[in-house]
Amino acid sequence: MPSAVDAVQLRGIGKRFPGVVANHDVDVTIRPGTVHALIGENGAGKSTLMKILYGVQRPDDGTIAIEGEQVVLKSPTEAIEVGVGMVFQHFMLADNLTVLENMVLGAEKLHGIGDGARTEIRRISDRFGFDLDPDVLVERLGVAARQRLEIAKVLYRGARIIILDEPTAVLVPQEVDALFENLRELTSAGNSVLFISHKLDEVLAIADDITVMRRGTTVGTADPATATKQELAELMVGSELPSPETEESTVTDTVQLSLSDVTLTDEFGRNLLSDLSLTIRRGEVLGIAGVEGNGQAELVETIMGMRIPTAGRIMLGDEDVTHWHTRRLREAGIGYIPEDRHRHGLLLDAPLWENRILGHQTRPPSSKGMFINRRGARKDTERIVADYDVRAPGIDTPSRALSGGNQQKLIVGREMSGDPVLLIASHPTRGVDVGAQAAIWDHIKRARRAGLAVLLISADLDELIGLSDTIQVILRGRFVGTFDPAKVTPQDLGTAMTGGAA
Amino acid sequence: MSATTATTGRKRTIVERLTTSWLYIGLIGIGVVSFVRIITDTDDLTGAGTIRAAIIATCPILAAALGGLWAERAGVVNIGLEGQMILGTWGAAFFTYHYGPWVGILGAALLGLIGGLLHAVATVTFGVDHIVSGVAINLIGAGAATYLAEAIFPDYEGGGPRQLNGLEAPAQITIPGVSDLANSIADRHWFVVSDIASVVQALTTNISTLSLLIFALVIVSALVLWRTSFGLRLRSCGENPQAAETLGINVYLYKYVAVLVSGALAGIGGGFLALVASSGFSNGQTGGRGYIGLAAMIFGNWRPGGLLAGALTFGYTDSLRLRDTQSVHSLLLLVAIGLLAFAAWRAYKRQVTGALVVAGAGVLVMAWFLLTDSVPREFTVMTPYVTTMFVLALGSQRLRMPAADGKPYRRGSAG
Repeated sequence: MPSAVDAVQLRGIGKRFPGVVANHDVDVTIRPGTVHALIGENGAGKSTLMKILYGVQRPDDGTIAIEGEQVVLKSPTEAIEVGVGMVFQHFMLADNLTVLENMVLGAEKLHGIGDGARTEIRRISDRFGFDLDPDVLVERLGVAARQRLEIAKVLYRGARIIILDEPTAVLVPQEVDALFENLRELTSAGNSVLFISHKLDEVLAIADDITVMRRGTTVGTADPATATKQELAELMVGSELPSPETEESTVTDTVQLSLSDVTLTDEFGRNLLSDLSLTIRRGEVLGIAGVEGNGQAELVETIMGMRIPTAGRIMLGDEDVTHWHTRRLREAGIGYIPEDRHRHGLLLDAPLWENRILGHQTRPPSSKGMFINRRGARKDTERIVADYDVRAPGIDTPSRALSGGNQQKLIVGREMSGDPVLLIASHPTRGVDVGAQAAIWDHIKRARRAGLAVLLISADLDELIGLSDTIQVILRGRFVGTFDPAKVTPQDLGTAMTGGAA
Repeated sequence: MSATTATTGRKRTIVERLTTSWLYIGLIGIGVVSFVRIITDTDDLTGAGTIRAAIIATCPILAAALGGLWAERAGVVNIGLEGQMILGTWGAAFFTYHYGPWVGILGAALLGLIGGLLHAVATVTFGVDHIVSGVAINLIGAGAATYLAEAIFPDYEGGGPRQLNGLEAPAQITIPGVSDLANSIADRHWFVVSDIASVVQALTTNISTLSLLIFALVIVSALVLWRTSFGLRLRSCGENPQAAETLGINVYLYKYVAVLVSGALAGIGGGFLALVASSGFSNGQTGGRGYIGLAAMIFGNWRPGGLLAGALTFGYTDSLRLRDTQSVHSLLLLVAIGLLAFAAWRAYKRQVTGALVVAGAGVLVMAWFLLTDSVPREFTVMTPYVTTMFVLALGSQRLRMPAADGKPYRRGSAG
């Protein structure tokens, strides 16, 4: 019986990048005609695994079998040939081309680029309820329609195994329901779906099987009929990290930052942030927990003046800073450790001392009047390198040459200089080694004792619990729960983050 | 084959839509020009001589603009068009001297293609910034052509270190009956009718086959880029190369082809300058037409029909400059009317600030026209460039360039 053959069998998959093991000993089995969910925290290795299955990257170890046949996938083209199609989290569509053009691109031989293709697109669209008009420009489509187009694209090429990388991340709840309808149609027609997500309620709603990944490997499977969110969250989060120790409270009564009813709306009119209110006092660390993409980045960018809120008010000390731009905010004493140090924190090819000046270009010791004070900046960089234990050959070294941990220590040192009153730390220890992690934790704690207000955003729940005085959980741009870190467990947080009862 | 029959139904509507709108725009344009001609009493504005000069001025710009279109549709900014054109002028001269004009044109395309190859190697293979590479090619093109001319042409009959004269031009075509009839109507100086007759006369009397070829290349490019799967793949590389890659398209290959074709087209434009616009090669004869071609393409919103309109506009102003200052003075009125019309359209669209700015400019130009009798010679030389600036400044908000145009692309960056 052919349907007894597994659609996909991944055995012992491993993939190493320089300095990182992205995947090791990964085993996944997908039964035909099912939705198989792959869940795990960010950085657990899900995306790498998907790229391996779609031929974008080649595994260093392990085997892939598609419908019982061992295959070696060297490129997406070969993956498509054996019936594997992928819908990327970031859509792979050309806005200025029509639905039809996007659909037939690379597969022109199947049905041509004219009416044959148009008929086939209509057929797929009608069969699965995709509601696609072949001759509309993609830029006119909403997010949900683009996603249906991506799925249709995969089907057009004859794929029977469809990988969806976090398909619901960009959808509103009604759109998610519609997508699930589409997926059920797909599986009832005999296709298999690999559904990657970290939203547990959605996974439980749609999946037939669940595989959990953590730190690059598969740590277990679960049956959605019996598993609870609690169990899944525990599997996903684990708790093996050395945890930062909580200290005595240093919270004062002086409010340093307060947001009242801040709302941010995107160009489609959807709320990225909805009525967020928070206060951080001097000497207080407020932790924000949440699954990535639930508004954390937007919250930080709004406070930093990179986005202007649609409604609401932001106060820094006694001043209304809602409409201040970033430089003015920084001059007022906000330090910022960005989420992605390569994109926002550093000029990788500039020497350390020039990186020291970034964001401080208007203030001593980096500047003197309208000129850059080279000597002052260099001297202060020496200080940061010594005080923050940045291991570098010298301050003229380009920052690219430093390890992630040392780059991060340089950023922390820079942001702590000039006596900030508020520190925004976005994933301050992401991708740094354990030693640097401990050092960064120490710096944050010391600054807190000195009266600094800190907004801490992290995906590492132990870090949040260990450092914060209060933890707020953010979900879909709203705060959905406040926790006392002294009493909360990572599991509680995991449940709240994924939409369970707080 | 049911596919083809069914598609034609849809195609025809698109063609109809395009042709009617172009027909209207063309008619209105000719009407305004005719009106200005009568008001200012400068029959030269649409004389057959002017139109013929305009066609000759248009062709090299058009070829360069088409070159730009091919490259940019595949996501490569080719500012090296100027250099590739210069190489084309030399190639046309060299090969025509030895083998006659048609081989000369192939030679021009070949030399331009070599310039394109340089650009492709630099930008696609090595990821050099497109502008840096393009500027380098302009310098190399000018230098190489100067060197090669000095090294080779002095020994040729009619040649010198900086020029090669007396080259055979491609054949010219005249359609006897139509030509004479149009001529007689044009001489009556009727409103609109005579102006159209002038255009017909210019198109049917002693028109160079190379001009016709370049106009035909516009249609060929449009069909290849928009009606074939090759063209679709090429354009996808300019819109979203990562997406193209995930669909198994060899993005590097398509970018290479596009930039090579781009160089060859610019080379043909250079060949036109050497063989048709003048009767020989001379140093520096491109005079920035590669850049004007690029501007025409941007004016045309990266579309074949649009760049044709752009090239015609620039070619026409360029040809007026060559004729007399009186025509350029009349052109001021034309520009003023154009600006005021555009301001009205803006106001209709409720873009108040834009409308006011444009209206202000229109009033200024109108005042300039009314208060003076002629435009100084120095200004007439600037005409095509000023027009370009105006058009770009006013039109730029509506322009839609290929989304990944000029952005570096590395293989394996998808996902």
